[in-house]
Amino acid sequence: MFLAWHEMRRSKLRFGLLTGAVGLLVFLILFQQALLGGLITQFIGAVRNQSADVLVFNDQARKNIEGSIILPEQAAAVAAVEGVAVASPLGESTFTVQADGSETDAVVFGYVLGGPGAPTTLSAGRLPTADGEAVASEKDEADGFGIGDTVTVLGPGGTLDLTVVGVARDLNYSVSPTMFTSFDTFAAAKRVRNGLAEGTAVLPSVLAVQVADGADAEAVVERIAAAVGGVEPLTRQQAVDGSPGVSSVRTSFGVILGLFYLVVPLVTGLFFLIVTFQKASALTLLRAIGARARTLVVALLVQVVLVMALGSLVAFGLYAGALQGVKNLGVRVEVMPVVVTSLVVLALALVTSLVAVRRVLRIDPLDATTGAGVHL
Amino acid sequence: MTVLDMRDVRKVYRSGDAEVVALDHATLAVDHGEIVALLGPSGSGKTTLLSIAGGLLAPTEGSVVVDGEDITGHDARRLTAFRREHVGFVFQSVNLVPFLTAEENLLVVDELGGGKGGRAARERARALLDELGLAARGSNMPSQLSGGERQRVAIGRALFNNPGLVLFDEPTSALDTQLGEQVMELIRREMKARDTAAVIVTHDTRMTHYADRVVRIVDGRLTADPVPA
Ligand SMILES: Nc1ncnc2c1ncn2[C@@H]1O[C@H](COP(=O)(O)OP(=O)(O)OP(=O)(O)O)[C@@H](O)[C@H]1O
Ligand SMILES: [Mg+2]
Repeated sequence: MFLAWHEMRRSKLRFGLLTGAVGLLVFLILFQQALLGGLITQFIGAVRNQSADVLVFNDQARKNIEGSIILPEQAAAVAAVEGVAVASPLGESTFTVQADGSETDAVVFGYVLGGPGAPTTLSAGRLPTADGEAVASEKDEADGFGIGDTVTVLGPGGTLDLTVVGVARDLNYSVSPTMFTSFDTFAAAKRVRNGLAEGTAVLPSVLAVQVADGADAEAVVERIAAAVGGVEPLTRQQAVDGSPGVSSVRTSFGVILGLFYLVVPLVTGLFFLIVTFQKASALTLLRAIGARARTLVVALLVQVVLVMALGSLVAFGLYAGALQGVKNLGVRVEVMPVVVTSLVVLALALVTSLVAVRRVLRIDPLDATTGAGVHL
Repeated sequence: MTVLDMRDVRKVYRSGDAEVVALDHATLAVDHGEIVALLGPSGSGKTTLLSIAGGLLAPTEGSVVVDGEDITGHDARRLTAFRREHVGFVFQSVNLVPFLTAEENLLVVDELGGGKGGRAARERARALLDELGLAARGSNMPSQLSGGERQRVAIGRALFNNPGLVLFDEPTSALDTQLGEQVMELIRREMKARDTAAVIVTHDTRMTHYADRVVRIVDGRLTADPVPA
């Protein structure tokens, strides 16, 4: 500690610059992760934050709810599978709506009230209890989707009013304002949009399945897949992860994030290697007067940990500040990702510092007698 | 009582096929409080002898006993502990840690020995610096010290742990004659005050009169000088 601390104290600029660089890089990682999380939530939050344990897609839909449709006989077959407590229709479609006086696109989910497929992240108001009521995505509260607002579905078949009775967090789908209403209201909205006669049947997009008490969702998925033809059952998490938008966003962000996760430890490892070279003669002297190699290695690692810890603090400050500026992206400051990222980056930096550690271990105290000190 | 007892020490350096005999059956005994000047031309084996006496280098043959501890067969770990506890070094070139103040360069010895660097250690460092005429220089960085001052801090560092033996490799070679004499005088005074043995390597015959005894070395062989200067 003595050596580590005094050296840092006397080279404030050098260590300060490294700390700043680490802070900026870790901040960029955090920020990108938050953006990625926010983006994914906006793509698929409605699926993640609804109550069905299992969603049954048409097997032609490639896990895309927009392109899925379930036939009545399939619905009946799914309901008969062992472990399925309830299988009820869940409809999803994009509509042109009028909200807050202007036209916009909105996604509407229709579920059987009281059944699976209800929003689980209600933050104000209540769930719909009657036709014509809806829960809306909280993010769009200020744009005419707040509690008490009326949202009007427009179409060749006329108009249909939905009254917002509650808002729920992270409920967006496909980056659009999103509402959950009764399946019958959804069907009526679809008829309005498509100009269909009243009473025309509307098929569900997917089935929302609630598994029986004690049943395992994955096992139920397997059983449905084996028992019912033409469908692709997925657990809620599988439906989120498998959604085409989510996986492509994950892949492109993943590459960038991976590069950042490499750059931080490389920069740190290189810095400490250079510093170790520069003070080789002092380290040699210390070894010659009886410093254990371990003492010098510990001093080095203490510096790595201090720099990474301070850098992470800087990153957290920048991150919290920056997220204030992008609130409308649906991104929130969370402590866990910061802690996890900091620990991962610290672990990687310790690994790359092993190159500098190796240099320290290779110092030959005899070199103090010649003043050579540096063995490249 | 003998502090340093080297017997029949041989050191052979091998580089490729070539062999260099840096020390050849060197036998040297130094008593408590005795100051020995080791005088010899460049390449004669002075630094090699000092390195072996101080546990920085293992001899090819022969035995080395310091302060009653036979270090001949010590491994690197035990030699490190030996150097930390039993000898003081003043090297030819680099002697101070550049990022530590003069006082911290002394305290680091305590720190390496597992000391807590507490009040007692600080007081001891200050007293020693005071004794060496560096009372006002304790918080200076090495780069803010003159050559003579740096050498004196190095002496303080070498003495900090009260070693039985201090090894000096050309302590005055970088100083002008007047400053060199001052440093030699200081070394003599400090050694005598503590009853500490010292081996001082030099090739400057003008410095040998500060020693109790002069040992000459030529081509790795020692010849005692019968008449102390
Ligand atoms: N690591 C080594 N490998 C090979 N030969 C060495 C090594 N160290 C020293 N020597 C050789 O051993 C001999 C004695 O070297 P040493 O450094 O002990 O001399 P010295 O008396 O201290 O010289 P100087 O007055 O120049 O410091 C020299 O011939 C030197 O070239
Ligand atoms: Mg020499």
